[in-house]
Amino acid sequence: MSEQAYKQPPITEAVIEIRFATPNDDATIAKASGDFKSHYPQEDAATNVAIQLYLPTGMEIKTMAQTLEKKGRRRSSMDQTQLVLLWPDNFVISQLAPYPGWDAFFERFRRDWEIWKRGIGYKKISRIGVRYINRIDIPLSGPLLEYERFLNIYAYLPESLGPVSSYAVQAQLPLQEIGCKLTLSSGLVPSPVLRHVSFVFDQDIAKEETPPQNDDEIYNLLNEIRVKKNIVFETCVTDEARRLFNP
Amino acid sequence: MTELIVNTRAANTVLSSSILGADIVRQIGKLGSKSSTSEINIISTDNAVEERLFDALSRVKRLTAMVAMHLDAAWRQNLFSQLDGLHDPAEWELDDEPVKESSFATFLKAIVEIRPERRPGLGLSQAGHLIAAWTTGRDRLTIEFLPNDQVRWVLSRYYDDEPVRIAGQMAVSRLVEQLAPYEPARWFCRESKSDLPAG
Repeated sequence: MSEQAYKQPPITEAVIEIRFATPNDDATIAKASGDFKSHYPQEDAATNVAIQLYLPTGMEIKTMAQTLEKKGRRRSSMDQTQLVLLWPDNFVISQLAPYPGWDAFFERFRRDWEIWKRGIGYKKISRIGVRYINRIDIPLSGPLLEYERFLNIYAYLPESLGPVSSYAVQAQLPLQEIGCKLTLSSGLVPSPVLRHVSFVFDQDIAKEETPPQNDDEIYNLLNEIRVKKNIVFETCVTDEARRLFNP
Repeated sequence: MTELIVNTRAANTVLSSSILGADIVRQIGKLGSKSSTSEINIISTDNAVEERLFDALSRVKRLTAMVAMHLDAAWRQNLFSQLDGLHDPAEWELDDEPVKESSFATFLKAIVEIRPERRPGLGLSQAGHLIAAWTTGRDRLTIEFLPNDQVRWVLSRYYDDEPVRIAGQMAVSRLVEQLAPYEPARWFCRESKSDLPAG
């Protein structure tokens, strides 16, 4: 059984990503996608578009733009909460809300990772990441909301500047015990719930230097990351926030 | 030559790919942050009816995931069954519009606020707006969920055999207070609590 700390966890998306040192070609991705059909019956073609602008220094600025396209496949469960993303250089499983707990999520990763490897074979891994995007919906009870009562991560500004109407913060920290890097992002986002104010709390823990290459070590790392991300989350929310997750 | 990379993540920030990550970065970006992302965009190229219906259903189901923590699992599953039924390709007329995401967002706001115990009957307008209807005896409430957090509603209630019909259009945030004089519990509540939204 999955261990669930909260009745209504604020997790809107959980992700495990394996990134590879060298990309796969389109045909390989297409074949791999077919292997996931029984678990994820729906398939989308996905395109990741990035634009690079080159601004040369000199007397006259002449800008050049280059569009970079990456094609992949996205497979999803019928209710769209369980997804697998197959890109040339990464393998991603994603869980949208409602979050079923780590045990179920981790087991799904193990299952899908086995399927991926059966189809693709060994590829050198360059990065392993776990990302949890939380959205904390706080009921509004007046014109002002003291977010410090709910979160321990926020923009600190001198009081003399007055109330803050919006903010976004990001911090990166080394997690030396597990050799990973933590990227924390938080900010105010439009709330999908009436009479609430919503804050995103997004944590990404990744191992980029000498990531493990064999399954047992990968699974051990993921479980270590899980413990760490729970500690980080609990450190960054207050008891008042916790009460929102256990109404 | 100086190379400036725009519309990718900040140079030192490589995040794990996600479905919602790009949206969140966009939302935070609107706050004035200059950091940006090269995360996932899904581009649909097939306009066949099945694809249109599938895309529309996928979008609203993912939208539902955004508030799934506020909904009971069974209520959510029943909602999806109703939506699947509304978008059955075998019954679909070519000039019909599948449910619009902007209409569905308004619907979700209303549902999370009202938390109706009784599930409504669902329909679609020609424009792809979701319509929900609750009927109790001769009394009926119909709400059309419009884009941009607007609702249009019509109710008919009988007082001592005399019908009263009222209609309104307003922001979804005012819906509960505007319906209050007409005792909406007659439509939203029932004794059986088997399909309650979370609360």
